Amino acid sequence: MSIDAAEFMQASVRTATPLALAAYGELVVERAGVINLGLEGAMIAGAFGALVGASAGGIGAGFAMAVVAGCAATLLMAWVVLWLRADAVIAGTAVTLLALGLTGTLYRALYGAQGAALSVPTLAPVAVPGLHQLPWIGPAFFEQPLATYALYAMACGLWWWLPRTHAGLALRATGERPDAALAAGISPVTVRAWALLFGGAMGGLAGGVLVLAQVGTFAEGMSAGRGFIAIAIVVLGRWSPVGVALAALLFGSASQLQYVFQSLGWPVPYQLFLALPYVLTLLVLAGTQRRAAAPASLGAPLDTAP
Amino acid sequence: MSDHALVLRAVSKQFGAVRALAGASLTVRRGTLHAVLGENGAGKTTLMRIAFGMMAPDEGEVEIDGRPVTLSSSAAAIALGLGMVHQHFTLVPAMSAAENIALGGRGRLDLGAVAEQVRVLSARTGLAVDPDTRVDALGVGAQQRIEILKALHGNARTLILDEPTAVLTPTESEELFGWLRRFVAEGGTAVLVTHKLQEALSVADDVTVLRRGERVLTARAAEIDIVTLVRALTGEDRAPETRVRTPRSQTVGAVVAQLTDVSVRDARGVLRVHQANVTCHAGEIIGVAGVEGSGVHELLRVLAGRLTPTAGTVSLPDTVGFVPEDRLRDAVIEDFSLSENFALRGAAARRGRMPWPELRAHTARAMAAHDVRAPSPDVRAGTLSGGNQQKFVVGREMENRPALVIAENPVRGLDLRATEHVLRELAASAASGSAVVIFSTDVDELLPLADRMLVTFAGQVREVPVVRDAIARALVGAA
Repeated sequence: MSIDAAEFMQASVRTATPLALAAYGELVVERAGVINLGLEGAMIAGAFGALVGASAGGIGAGFAMAVVAGCAATLLMAWVVLWLRADAVIAGTAVTLLALGLTGTLYRALYGAQGAALSVPTLAPVAVPGLHQLPWIGPAFFEQPLATYALYAMACGLWWWLPRTHAGLALRATGERPDAALAAGISPVTVRAWALLFGGAMGGLAGGVLVLAQVGTFAEGMSAGRGFIAIAIVVLGRWSPVGVALAALLFGSASQLQYVFQSLGWPVPYQLFLALPYVLTLLVLAGTQRRAAAPASLGAPLDTAP
Repeated sequence: MSDHALVLRAVSKQFGAVRALAGASLTVRRGTLHAVLGENGAGKTTLMRIAFGMMAPDEGEVEIDGRPVTLSSSAAAIALGLGMVHQHFTLVPAMSAAENIALGGRGRLDLGAVAEQVRVLSARTGLAVDPDTRVDALGVGAQQRIEILKALHGNARTLILDEPTAVLTPTESEELFGWLRRFVAEGGTAVLVTHKLQEALSVADDVTVLRRGERVLTARAAEIDIVTLVRALTGEDRAPETRVRTPRSQTVGAVVAQLTDVSVRDARGVLRVHQANVTCHAGEIIGVAGVEGSGVHELLRVLAGRLTPTAGTVSLPDTVGFVPEDRLRDAVIEDFSLSENFALRGAAARRGRMPWPELRAHTARAMAAHDVRAPSPDVRAGTLSGGNQQKFVVGREMENRPALVIAENPVRGLDLRATEHVLRELAASAASGSAVVIFSTDVDELLPLADRMLVTFAGQVREVPVVRDAIARALVGAA
């Protein structure tokens, strides 16, 4: 059978959208020097929040609740890591596990043990006049739900904000040398807290996109490791907004490729293709010389100030 | 306006069980260069951090330009016209000079405009800095100029410099002092924290000495002598002996270690040491000098057997003692007890069960022999003062009378007494037949010790006479 290239690219961008949203959140968090393994947790919390919000008040309320839920999950992370000075890897893992468990439990408590496919309205694709008629990339990039356009705005915004504002400079300095930031009158704790809050909001938004722009319902564990993939995207994207966009697109394509391979009817268990994005994640993490471009203080806790 | 740029009055600060400041005071007259002296732990840095708003005092008052202030952060101090150049630079290595200088501002960031301001400021003050170069590509002297420009860019009228010459070559130090004299002549005020007495006396207008968190002396530099200063610093009548040995005559012992045409490339392929030839003889002390990036650390690590060169032949004795510059990174583990740290040396050669009782007794003997003041071999290394940690490291490395001893900045940051002790140990080691190689960033430390002098510059190793001027010229590559 033939594969429609334009359709493939459109689906790739659709799949890449939540990944890129979460990755931009993580980019900001990592430029401040924190690795947020709670991103997966923020995402599933966001997905559940989207379900609750959308079934009560429509799509807008769904997105709002998604952001709130993502922030709530990450605030817990920020409090434990920045004020209680706990280890960020352990705290992030705990937040993710907690969010996965809690959303599953709440889902069953609120919507019944069967969790009978509760469906919520979803965002329809909106074509951008003119641009969507471009060959190949037109439908791929300019016939998408509004969430994808929000992503474009976010990417451009970050690309401008990081080098062109004092706040962006403060963020980068905090990730490189927190004591240098401190000496310049910047509070690294405050910077990292805001960065985590932003990362949580974006993670929540990404979870919301899964529910409100793609699936139209919630399922336990539906984030399915996308939070971790987003972290890998930041590494592959060399901590730069442009790099993250390209890396997200690569991962989106890899996810779509599994359907292509399945449709080819090769005599191979389809689970192998399902594993494709995750195998790619592993290869990326193992293969990149990540110290070269990474913020110098990434993962280093702040000194306990006397 | 008040005649005093900065006043700290009866300031106290407690860290847990340690009383860092016990009612210390400092009065800095406007338009003067004021040196603050004190041994390790005397409270110099704590007092300066309080003045700069980095920590709040438990008791006491701070006045800036005659007005009592409560500083909530260093941003507040900066807003009141203070600037601080920290001992360990607070620059972001991966950023340009302009980005570093812009750090702490608000709103939009126009790097081109900042770079232009830096060029103007640089031209006006004579502090040469290229705003677009990344900091990690610059030497320490240039980094320090960026720190000063950063403070001046924040409109600092009073500059606090914490041990600014610790990392500089003699020439760079002289340049800095020349600049500071001009700065105060034009109405600025500078506070110079140092432990170098001669430096304080020759460059400062006023001198304040702190001991155990209290002010013990403030005087005009022109009106006191070095003996008074030493007495105030140590609280003893006897000044510590600075001359610990007389350099040997030309009688040369057997060859202990030899490097022949040794070259070292680092992980990025940069040539760090180029065809170095070094011979160490039994019983001699070789002084080594070299600025950061000259290949001096690589050379010393090859001699210590910790780095395999990319080319050339190395012949080392079986036993080598190494006292590295950064002891907390390379010599001791803070969270290990002293016995455990002691056991680290030679750990690779041991097999099977650890003979703890034996090692513990051994550690206790070494502590007694090397004047390491700690309650027992079971305390964590991190609880010791810097001086005692260093005495412990030196003692451990000397334990089996190594044929070759390599010491990197062995007395950096130590107070007078610990310095004297460590230098005596090294001299005694040479007297007992070891070859001793001592690197120091402070050439004055080496002059009374060294039999021979090696100077590294741009990867080349050169032997020079043990004479201040000759060393100073070789440090910057001049003939």
